[in-house]
Amino acid sequence: MGIPAAPMVTIAFKDLALTNAAKRGMPLQRISFTPHPVWGKTDEQMYAYLDGNDPVSGKPLMKEVVDSLTRPLTADESKSGTSTPPVGAPTFTDTADNLQQYFLDNGMTDFMPITLPTQEKVDAMLKATKRKPDEIVGKMTPAQGAFPPWSYTVQQVAVNAVMAGAIPDYFPTILAIGSTGISALFSSTNSLVSAVIVNGPIRDKLQMNYGIGAMGPFNQANATIGRAWTLMSKNLDGGGIAGETYMGSQGNVINYSNLIIPENEKDSPWPPFHVQKGFKPEENVLSFFFGFNITQGQGGKGLGVKPIPLYNVAMSANVAPFASLFGALFILDPLVANGLGDLGFKTKEQLADWLQKNTTVTVKDVKSMLFSGLPRGPEAANLTDDSVIPKWPRVDAYNFVVCGGQTNPYHQLANMSYRLSVKIDDWA
Amino acid sequence: MRINRRNILSLMGMSPALLAGATAEAEQAKKTKTKTAKGVAAEAKLTVLNPRGMPPPITLIPMAPRLSTLDDKTIYLVSDGFPGADAFLNQISIWFKKNMPSVTTVYRLKAGGFADDDPKLFAEIKAKGQAVIMAIGH
Repeated sequence: MGIPAAPMVTIAFKDLALTNAAKRGMPLQRISFTPHPVWGKTDEQMYAYLDGNDPVSGKPLMKEVVDSLTRPLTADESKSGTSTPPVGAPTFTDTADNLQQYFLDNGMTDFMPITLPTQEKVDAMLKATKRKPDEIVGKMTPAQGAFPPWSYTVQQVAVNAVMAGAIPDYFPTILAIGSTGISALFSSTNSLVSAVIVNGPIRDKLQMNYGIGAMGPFNQANATIGRAWTLMSKNLDGGGIAGETYMGSQGNVINYSNLIIPENEKDSPWPPFHVQKGFKPEENVLSFFFGFNITQGQGGKGLGVKPIPLYNVAMSANVAPFASLFGALFILDPLVANGLGDLGFKTKEQLADWLQKNTTVTVKDVKSMLFSGLPRGPEAANLTDDSVIPKWPRVDAYNFVVCGGQTNPYHQLANMSYRLSVKIDDWA
Repeated sequence: MRINRRNILSLMGMSPALLAGATAEAEQAKKTKTKTAKGVAAEAKLTVLNPRGMPPPITLIPMAPRLSTLDDKTIYLVSDGFPGADAFLNQISIWFKKNMPSVTTVYRLKAGGFADDDPKLFAEIKAKGQAVIMAIGH
């Protein structure tokens, strides 16, 4: 624009603001900071911020803002040119213990011991794909638009796969994850989570667990593929630096290894998820989801018990309080899926259609919720607070995956939206 | 019959970690100690690869020239859309009325996400304003 600007940032975002300014080419940008938060403060409290001092510089805040716009630039502030941010040497040499500590101290781990990525181990990993080590797999950023994306090679993905404890057989799956550029550590003050549904014969080839404990720490493939995604999200794009490129206020334990959900295709009454998306049953596919947390579904009202539990009614009651910013992903034990089949839901589409029509909220409720929006357009003109509207206007907000070991007819539900699907076979 | 490779290796008294293809590591484990000139065992060193990806080069952007004074200038107060930014910028407008009454302030909400450009707004500011104060965060 060529117009002088004075950004004002609340202090909770100090590190983010300073590093982002540097990464975007203005390392000396004149940023003023205010106390945090601004939201929820009275007019008098906010005016008091202006009359007070910048909590970082200690200077009178508005005087500093005026100064930002009027004090002549220094020679450094007027500089142009390019620079490449350093990422460290290509290799590190030390004892095993010192290397573990080095990786941990430099933010390259999930704070748990890693498998050290020697050239031998990385070479073994690389044998599991036909792709060349220096081929670019993709680009990733902790938040689109906020940080410039980094690119990464097949070898760099292999290094992270080794660190996660993955075996070479898992590598094409991990490469497919990397190819999407989706970070598992999205930078938002919401502590968001990521999930991937795995479909196709690869689930059995890798001996993935889609039975008892499928989403828990009970299987090497499930665990290390998910962990590799987290480590990639830290290392391949400069992400996961708390306070700088990760701002989740509380964090989420799911981020350690994400929700890896191999579908229990053989015990499901319905076609698998990837077939719904147009893939062939024999294709190996990953389908990605993203959003708020996951929770248990056993508390839904209207379930009843006899003669057949009304799973659909309970599922509807369970998602009604969800924020409509994201959709609903139901993870159904096969007992629930087959029960729903007995209730007449012969396809996932029928179930989604029923839920979309029967899951409703009032306009008043929506207005009182965060991250939920009201309908727009002509149909919204006549709405009052007491109007009853669909929770989600689109049926594709509802998604289902069958997973679990049939010890009881339970389900879990995640306030998450579908993003995209990719083929693992492209990376074998 | 499905073969559980981990169980077979364990029954043979071998670590399932060998499934990682780390036969090189098994051999290296035999060489954990080397002798120094004084005969004292020293821990062997490993060389490992850097897991980081490749950031794009940064193009340094020179800052826009500053104004000699804000008197009689028009300052755009721009909200990035986060909660509270509009109310906070309103207080800034009040501050200018009280302390620098010759300054004209104009409030605008930037379109898109917090990191998105808003070309229409930026064109307006360039045409009609002389400075910007932007509220970021909540």
